[in-house]
Amino acid sequence: MLVLKGIPASPGIAIGRAIVVPGESLATTKHYIALEAVSGELHKFQQALQKTMLELDECSQKVRATLGPEYAGLMETHKLILQDPTLKDAVIHKINTDYLTARSAISLTLGELAANFDKIEDPFFKERRNDIFDAGKRLLANLEGNKRDFLSSIKRPSLLVAHDLFPSDTISLPEKQILGFCTDVGGKTSHTALLAQSLNIPAVVGLSTASKDVANGDQLIIDGENGLLVINPDRYTLANYRQIKREIKKTESLLKTINHLPVITQDGHRVHLYVNYDPRTDNKYNKTLITDGLGLLRTEFLFMNTPVPPAEEAQYKIYLSVAKRFDMRPVTIRLADLGADKMPDFALDELDEDDNPFMGCRGIRLLLKNPELLHTQLRAIVRTACEVPAQIRVMIPMVSSVEEVRHVRAAFDQILQEFAEKGKKPLNKIALGAMIEVPAAAIALDGMINDLDFISIGTNDLIQYLVAVDRVNPEVAHMYDPCHPAVGRTIHNIIQTAHKRSKTVSICGEIASDSKMLPLLLGWQVDSLSVTPRMYLRVKNNIRNLNFEHCSDMAQAALLMGSSAEIRNLVEDNQYENS
Amino acid sequence: MVQKELTILNRLGLHARPAARIVQTAAMFESDIELTKDHVTINAKSIMGVMMLAAEFGASVCVTAKGSDEVQAIAALEKLFNDKFNEEF
Repeated sequence: MLVLKGIPASPGIAIGRAIVVPGESLATTKHYIALEAVSGELHKFQQALQKTMLELDECSQKVRATLGPEYAGLMETHKLILQDPTLKDAVIHKINTDYLTARSAISLTLGELAANFDKIEDPFFKERRNDIFDAGKRLLANLEGNKRDFLSSIKRPSLLVAHDLFPSDTISLPEKQILGFCTDVGGKTSHTALLAQSLNIPAVVGLSTASKDVANGDQLIIDGENGLLVINPDRYTLANYRQIKREIKKTESLLKTINHLPVITQDGHRVHLYVNYDPRTDNKYNKTLITDGLGLLRTEFLFMNTPVPPAEEAQYKIYLSVAKRFDMRPVTIRLADLGADKMPDFALDELDEDDNPFMGCRGIRLLLKNPELLHTQLRAIVRTACEVPAQIRVMIPMVSSVEEVRHVRAAFDQILQEFAEKGKKPLNKIALGAMIEVPAAAIALDGMINDLDFISIGTNDLIQYLVAVDRVNPEVAHMYDPCHPAVGRTIHNIIQTAHKRSKTVSICGEIASDSKMLPLLLGWQVDSLSVTPRMYLRVKNNIRNLNFEHCSDMAQAALLMGSSAEIRNLVEDNQYENS
Repeated sequence: MVQKELTILNRLGLHARPAARIVQTAAMFESDIELTKDHVTINAKSIMGVMMLAAEFGASVCVTAKGSDEVQAIAALEKLFNDKFNEEF
C-alpha cells in the first residue's frame, strides 16, 4: 500500500481500478530512417497534423461551453501553431534531408522553436513557449499509437491517472466510465479541477509522481476530501473507505429530504443561508439546491489566465446569466480581489513585486490604483441591474478605511449618472457593502457603517490577520484558531455595530460551515451565512437542529471566556450533547 | 513590393489574440508578408514568428508585402492595427 498526498480538487471518494494515461515527452535523441522510408514518415506527419486539427475543431466548441472562452481561445492558438509554416517547413526539412523519423523531427523542431522564446525578456511572451509544447505534444500523441483513441476506448468504470490532461482530453473522456481522476500537476483552480467539479466526480491533483507510481489495473482509492491517493490499499483501509463512502451516500440522500424546507431553528429563528457560487463548476446537483440566494460570487477568475483585463461586455454576460440563474433572490458580487496569491497575467500600473503580498496591494487597494479595472467592473454590474430586476449586492474586498468606501461609492455614483444620461436606470437599487477582513475595519466599523448598505465578514482572512498567522506556514499554522477569544469578540462587535444602524451581517469563510462554531455565530445574531453548494444542505440541517435560545446563552458565555481552550470545550461539549 | 510603418495602438501589445488576428488576416492573401521590428524580420503568416516579435504598446512595426495582392494586404493589416486588433483595451 502506498499513500500519496496531493491537492483535493473535487470532493468525494472513488474506489476502482487504475488506467494510466501514457505521457508524451519530447525526445532529444535522434532516430534516423532509410531513404525509402522518407515518404512514409512524411505521410505519417501529415496524417497526424490533419487528425490533430480536426480534433481541435471538434473540441473547441465543447471547451467553450464547459471551461469558458479563455480555454477555447487557447485551442485556436494551438491550431495556428500547428498550421504555422515555420513548424511545418522545419519538420519536413528534417525528414527530407536529415532522414529523421517524424517523431524525432517534430520533437527537435519544437525544442528549437521553444528555445527562441527563452530569449524574450517579457515574461508574458516568454510563457508562450508552453503553448508551443502543448500543441506539439498533442501532435506527437496523434502519431501512430494514439492516446485519444486510448481515452475513448475505456470500456469499464475506471479511475484515470495522468501526468496532466489537456482541456481537449477532458472533453473526450467517456464520462460514464470515469469514476474519478488524479494528475501529477495542477492546482485547486486548474482546468482539471474545474472539470471534475462540474462532472461531480472526485479528483486529486498536484500528486507529483502518481503517473509513475501507479500501474494499469492497480486498485486505487481517490480521496477527494483530503487530497489523498491510495495505491493498492490493504484490506483494513479498503473496508474503512468503503464504509466512509456508504455513509456519505446515506447522508446525501437524507439531506435531500430537507431541500425544500425553510432555514429556521427549532424555536423558529430565521437565518438566511446563501450559497457561494462559481458558474464554472455548476453541476446537476447544484442546480437542484433551493437556496436563499448567492452570498459570494468571486470574480477573480475573470481576470486570470488572460492577457487583457476582461471587457465590460464579457463581464456583463456572466453577471447577467448569474442574475437570471438566481432570479429575484440576492446576488452578491464581490469586486475582484486581485493581488496576493491571485495575480493576473496582464500588466498593472504601479505594481511591483510584494515581499509580503497578503499585507500588500490587494483587493480594493489594487482596484483604486487601477481605476479602469474598477470602473469596467462596476459598469458591467450596473448594466446587468438595468437589464434584470435582480437584487444585486456589490461587495468591496479588503476594506480598511472609510475613504476607500467613499471612493468606490463616488465611482459608483458617477457610473449611475452616466447611465442616467443615457436614460437607463437599475430596475432595483444596487446595494453596496464591504467585506470586513482587516481588523482595523472591524474595530472602527462605526466610522464607516453609515456609508455601507450591508456587511459581510470574511472570516478566513480576518482570523489570519487577528492572530497574525499565515496558514500556509507549517511552523505556525496550528495557531490559526477560530476559537481564539479575539475572533468571537470581533465578530460580535461587528454584528452589534451593524445592527445599531439596521444593517445586516453575513458570514462567509470556512467558519460558516463549521458545525461546532455554528451555534456561536447564530447566538451572536448573524443574519446570514454563505457556504459552498456541497456544504449547503449539511449546514441547513445543522441550523434546523439548533435551538436559538440555547445558542444565545452559549454565545454570551463564550464572550466572557478568556482562552481558546475554554471556548473549544464549550462548543465541543455542546456538539457531543446534541449528537 | 509595398511597405508601411505601423504602430501598436492597443495597450497590451501583440499578445496571443492580436497575433492570431494578424496571422489570420495575412493568410487571406497570396503575397509574402513580413513584419520587422528592431531589425528582426518574421513571416506574418507564422503565429510563432509574430508572438516572438514581443511587440509592446507604442512599438513601431514595418510591414512589407510582395505579390499579386500586396496593396490589399497592406490595407487590411493597416486597418487591423488602427482598429487596435478589435480589442476593447
